[in-house]
Amino acid sequence: MAEISLKSVSKAYVNPVFSLTVLDKADLTIPEGAFAAVQGPSGSGKSTLLNLIGALDRADGGDIRVMGTDIASLPQRRLAEFRNRTIGFVFQSFHLMPVLTAAENVAWPLYFQGVRRRDRMRAAREKLALVGLSDHADKIPGRLSGGQRQRVAIARALVCDPAVILADEPTANLDRKTARDVMDLLRDINSRRGATLLCATHDPLVVERANRVIELSEGKLTMRSDPPAVGTEERHA
Amino acid sequence: MLDLAYISALNILRNARRSVITVLSIAVGYAALCCFGAFINFTFEGLRETTIRTQLGHMQIYAEGFWERHVSEPGEVMIHDVAALEEALEEIEGVSSVTHRLTFSGVGTAGGSSVSMSVIGVDPFRELEFADFEIVVEGRNLLPGDEDKGVVGSELAKGIDAGIGDWVTVLTTSLDGLINAVDFQIVGIVRTGSSEYDSVFVKVPADLARVALDTDAVERVIVLIDDTDRLDEIAPRVHAVLEALPEAYETRDWLELAGFYEAVVNLYTGLFRIFAGIVAVVVMFSVANTMTMAVFERTGESGALRAIGATQGTTMRMFLYEGLLIGVLGGAAGVALSMAISWGVEISGGIEMPPPPSMSQGYQAYFLMTPELLAMGFAISVAAALASSIYPAWAASRVNIVEALQKQ
Repeated sequence: MAEISLKSVSKAYVNPVFSLTVLDKADLTIPEGAFAAVQGPSGSGKSTLLNLIGALDRADGGDIRVMGTDIASLPQRRLAEFRNRTIGFVFQSFHLMPVLTAAENVAWPLYFQGVRRRDRMRAAREKLALVGLSDHADKIPGRLSGGQRQRVAIARALVCDPAVILADEPTANLDRKTARDVMDLLRDINSRRGATLLCATHDPLVVERANRVIELSEGKLTMRSDPPAVGTEERHA
Repeated sequence: MLDLAYISALNILRNARRSVITVLSIAVGYAALCCFGAFINFTFEGLRETTIRTQLGHMQIYAEGFWERHVSEPGEVMIHDVAALEEALEEIEGVSSVTHRLTFSGVGTAGGSSVSMSVIGVDPFRELEFADFEIVVEGRNLLPGDEDKGVVGSELAKGIDAGIGDWVTVLTTSLDGLINAVDFQIVGIVRTGSSEYDSVFVKVPADLARVALDTDAVERVIVLIDDTDRLDEIAPRVHAVLEALPEAYETRDWLELAGFYEAVVNLYTGLFRIFAGIVAVVVMFSVANTMTMAVFERTGESGALRAIGATQGTTMRMFLYEGLLIGVLGGAAGVALSMAISWGVEISGGIEMPPPPSMSQGYQAYFLMTPELLAMGFAISVAAALASSIYPAWAASRVNIVEALQKQ
């Protein structure tokens, strides 16, 4: 069964002086365990696509199912639960809580499931170890580098063991070496844990690691089956 | 809940300067409210004790029917067996003093001037146990053994152009309605605190008043107890003693007789409520401003929290705890500040106050802080802070997640 499926999904931003259609009856199927990259020009709607799949935004029409769940049918409270248990978000700007330590940031999503603090913190430290930040667990984000913050954000996205990880421009705020390390980590997580990974990006470094590449252009989604080989990015650079 | 409170506390510390200013504004408002309340407490207590210990006593005992008939048939509603009554009352545990009084009005003459006088007859010996209602400005007050002596109000002395040693003749009617007159020699000129009362006040021994009214009885017996707060406990014992005596009596406690006290309490309580409302509004604006800025600055975080699974309710609670904590901190700081101000006033000897309306003498005011007052101020601070956080917290919980995530 497809883990993520979009059927005839439409989304447009309309106001009195401006109208932009970002998805026009778009269809998409991403199987379980895939590592997919969504490509497209700036403003083409890559982030919007992720927001719709991650239940952060509502489509104007069509059907979006994630793990068999029809997102449109979920009430507000169930949406929060769905985001917490099914989706792991990695944001371009990390969006960590600056007052919490790395471990507390990672543990925070488990709070919404009612997990006890001690268990939350244990799980958070395990995830931080997974992303190579065991030694930085008690530091606040302000004392971490950009790459380390993104790793904390990845650990936070993993802590609830979600079926789907959505990453919006995960390398945009990172230098090349750090970006490469982060993407290697995400690819490793995808291959070892089987979580479906969907990245919105225009970074070749991300695209070349994906096993599926989706083109978003003029509101339509097109699956490209032949991602560029790893190393292309280096040649671009 | 503890985790939300924890993160709220961290967020308060995050912008320490703004939080401190907000907490201080609450503390200052709280302190202003509590100091005003404490001043009122002091005024109430001072007025209460002054009223009780100089004029009314804690309870007054009259012959049955006194209040209905004392104008039309004053001779029929007098207490005749005063000695037995006073003796029985003095036996009650908690009763510290018992005395009797007799009052009448008349026209007084000294030299060529005649003026209206309000004469009160007292037992000079028993009266020693009451605090002096009057302040002696010249001469002395009545003493045991005085028979045809009297003290007069300072304005009255001026009105009849009389001084110490002068004789005053008071013309009145006896209880039987006959014209009668008594003479007394002025031994003291006093101030009662009220200019109006000073112009008619005369105090003479009760025996002289009895002669003027041609009676052996007294109008009322006054009971003073050792602690005003014990009145509810002692009053039933007084009633039991009265029921055992052959004459029929009725009683009134001080609060029923102290119309002025009640009016002052009502006035000050009303002022206090208005002031409390103003302070609450100031606190609400201060906290609302802080919380609105916090919500605005943390829009991105609110969006991220919602994205990782926070419900609208959880997000709202997080900001509400923040407002609550600010209120608690402000309230606690307010308690400390109020106590410090009260202590400062205490060691500096009080605040000099001008004479109240219709009074002739000022007084030293202190702040009487009570646990009830401090708790009420604390509750107002916390409730105002919490109430003013509701809208910002609600707004934070309703952010559009996608738009919020676009903010840093």
